[in-house]
Amino acid sequence: MAKYAAKFSQATLTTTFKTAGHVRTPAASMRRIKLYDVLFGAGGTPADNVLEFNLKRTTANGTDSAVTPVALDPADAAAVSTVGSNATVESASITANSDLLDFNLNQRATYRWIAAPGSELVIPNVLNSGIVVLVLSPAYTGAAGGAMLFEEQ
Amino acid sequence: MRNAGGVLIGVGDTGTVEVDTFTCSHCQYVTKVPPRCDPADLGGHCKSCDKLVCNKCVNIMARGGNCTPWEKQMIAMENREAARRSYGI
Repeated sequence: MAKYAAKFSQATLTTTFKTAGHVRTPAASMRRIKLYDVLFGAGGTPADNVLEFNLKRTTANGTDSAVTPVALDPADAAAVSTVGSNATVESASITANSDLLDFNLNQRATYRWIAAPGSELVIPNVLNSGIVVLVLSPAYTGAAGGAMLFEEQ
Repeated sequence: MRNAGGVLIGVGDTGTVEVDTFTCSHCQYVTKVPPRCDPADLGGHCKSCDKLVCNKCVNIMARGGNCTPWEKQMIAMENREAARRSYGI
């Protein structure tokens, strides 16, 4: 059960949710993915703005930039999971009412969520199944992002 | 609430804030557990799977819904996927 880290970001925030990060099962060699640690923050000039982050389930891919996950243990093989960042076209199948983690933070702040062992957010071994990290801000239009740590089972 | 498990850590100008969290056994929603809050406001305990569940799932079960842990839901999804693949769909 190898563990990986991947960064994600969204270059331009708007008042509607945009995908900053997306971890999903690949087309082949699928396995379950367990998201156990996520870090969130904002770039740009420090100011007092509110950002809302939301993690949701999805069953289809949008258009985003591929990110290569880094194995936490160099002895592990490369990740089979697919990670995308800075989506330009949102996934058409973000599951309604599938909020997993939702919170607001000040632009100056950094948040980190760590799951208890056994309470990770699990992505089933199903084609294109995944979790997206969405972000919006009523006023801030700069970049926001973070990093996610996950385990392949 | 005992053994909430997860933690949400915020670091900002005014210092560090830590809030316990727990993951709903049925839908995986992460509920934040503020200090000294009333446990009844946060969700409940499912007597079938013996795990913590969120407010939404407590309401579903109060209306007669069954205990369906996320693990069971994933197995059903994966079985459907395996069947689809076996038919070449």
